[in-house]
Amino acid sequence: MFESCLEVRQLFSDYVDGQCDREASAAVRFHLRYCEACRAALDSLQAVRAELKLLPHRRVPEDLALRLRVQLSQRLHRNLLERLRVRIENAIEPLLVPASTAVLTAVICFGVLMASGSPPRANTPDVPLQLATPPRVEALAPIDFNTGDQGLTLLTHIDASGRVLDYKVLSGQPSPGLAQMMLFSLFHPATLFGKPTEGRIVLSLRRITVRG
Amino acid sequence: MDLAVDRTQSLPAVASEASLVAELQAGSEDAFAYLLGVYQNPVFNLISHILGNDSEAADVLQEVFVKVFKGIRHFHGQSSLKTWIYRIALHEISNHRRGWLRRRLRETASFDHESHEETAASWREQAGRTANPYQVLEQAERQDLVKRALADLPPVFRAVVVLREIEDLSYREIAEVLGIPEGTVKSRLLRGREMLRRRLGSILG
Repeated sequence: MFESCLEVRQLFSDYVDGQCDREASAAVRFHLRYCEACRAALDSLQAVRAELKLLPHRRVPEDLALRLRVQLSQRLHRNLLERLRVRIENAIEPLLVPASTAVLTAVICFGVLMASGSPPRANTPDVPLQLATPPRVEALAPIDFNTGDQGLTLLTHIDASGRVLDYKVLSGQPSPGLAQMMLFSLFHPATLFGKPTEGRIVLSLRRITVRG
Repeated sequence: MDLAVDRTQSLPAVASEASLVAELQAGSEDAFAYLLGVYQNPVFNLISHILGNDSEAADVLQEVFVKVFKGIRHFHGQSSLKTWIYRIALHEISNHRRGWLRRRLRETASFDHESHEETAASWREQAGRTANPYQVLEQAERQDLVKRALADLPPVFRAVVVLREIEDLSYREIAEVLGIPEGTVKSRLLRGREMLRRRLGSILG
C-alpha cells in the first residue's frame, strides 16, 4: 500500500501507458477510488495527453519536398559517377604493381645490357659498335721476299696487342723473309664487345715486280 | 520489392524493410523516393514539434536526409529504419541547437510567429469541419497554449514527450532513438508530463 499521494502520482505516467505491473495498477486504481485529488490529477494528465495528440501533424511543404527530391537525386547521381570511378580504379590498381615491376625490370635489363655492350673507353673513342670484329692489317713490314708465281696464303694468329703470335702457310712456298715480315708487321687486334682480343686473319701475299 | 505503395501514408513492414534497405544501399533512386515519401512528414513533424519552428525544421530536415543518404551503407539493421532515422533527426536537432544565434532567434521571435501561423492554419482547417466558429477558436487557442507549454519544456523532456505523445513511439524505441536506458525514458516522461500537467491542467481541466 502507498504511504502518500505523491507515490501514486509517480506511477501515473507508467499507468496511463500501461507500463505498470498488475499489482501496481491495482494499487493505483484502489487509491484513485478514494482520493479525489489524485483522480483530478490523473484526469488533467489525460486531458494534456489528449491535447498533445490533437496537435496538427506538420507536413513538409511542397517546395521543400521537391527540394529534397532534387537534392537527393543530385547526390545519388554524383555518387554513381563516384562509384564508377572507384570501380575503374579497383580494376586497374591490382595491375599497377606487376606492370610497374615489369617496366622497371625491362629498364634495368636494358641498362645492364647496354652498359656491358658498350663500355666507356677514354683511349679509344672509336669503339666499334659490332659485338665482335676480326683483326685487320695496319702495316706490313717492307721486307722483300719471293712469294713464287702462285703467291702465299697464310692463316695468321694475332694477339690482343696486334702482334703476330703464330702463322700457318695454307698454300705457296714459305721463305726466310716471311718470318721477318710477320715479326715486324702491325695489326689491329680483333675485338669482342669493344675489348681487344686474340683473333685470326687469312692473308694472301703476292710479290709484284714492276719493270722500269 | 514493390515500391508502388502509398508513399504518404504507410510505413514499411519489418519483413520488407530489409529489402528496402538493400535497395537503398544499392543506390536505387526509387527506393530513396519511397523513403522520402514515407518518412519526410513524420520526421518533419518530429523536428517541428521539438524545435517549435517550421523554417528551422526545414533546414534540419534536409540535413537529416543528407545524413541518411550518406549513412545508409553503414546501416546494418541493428535497429529499425525508423528508429535509426529518428536518432539522426534528434542528433541533428541537437547540433542545430548548439548555435547560440539560432537559439536566441528561436526563443525570442520565431516561436510566436510560428504559433500564430499554426493557429490560423489550424483554424482554417477545422472551420471546414465544424459549424461553430467559437468552438474552432477555442480549440485553436488551446492548441496554441499546448504548443507554448511544450516549447517551454527543457529540451530533454520535450524530446521524450514528443516521441511518446505525438510520434507514438514505445519506451524501447524512444530509448533506442535517444540512446538512453528505458528507465531514463520513464523518468523523463514522468517529469515532462508532470510539468505540462501543472502548467495546463487548470486551463484544460
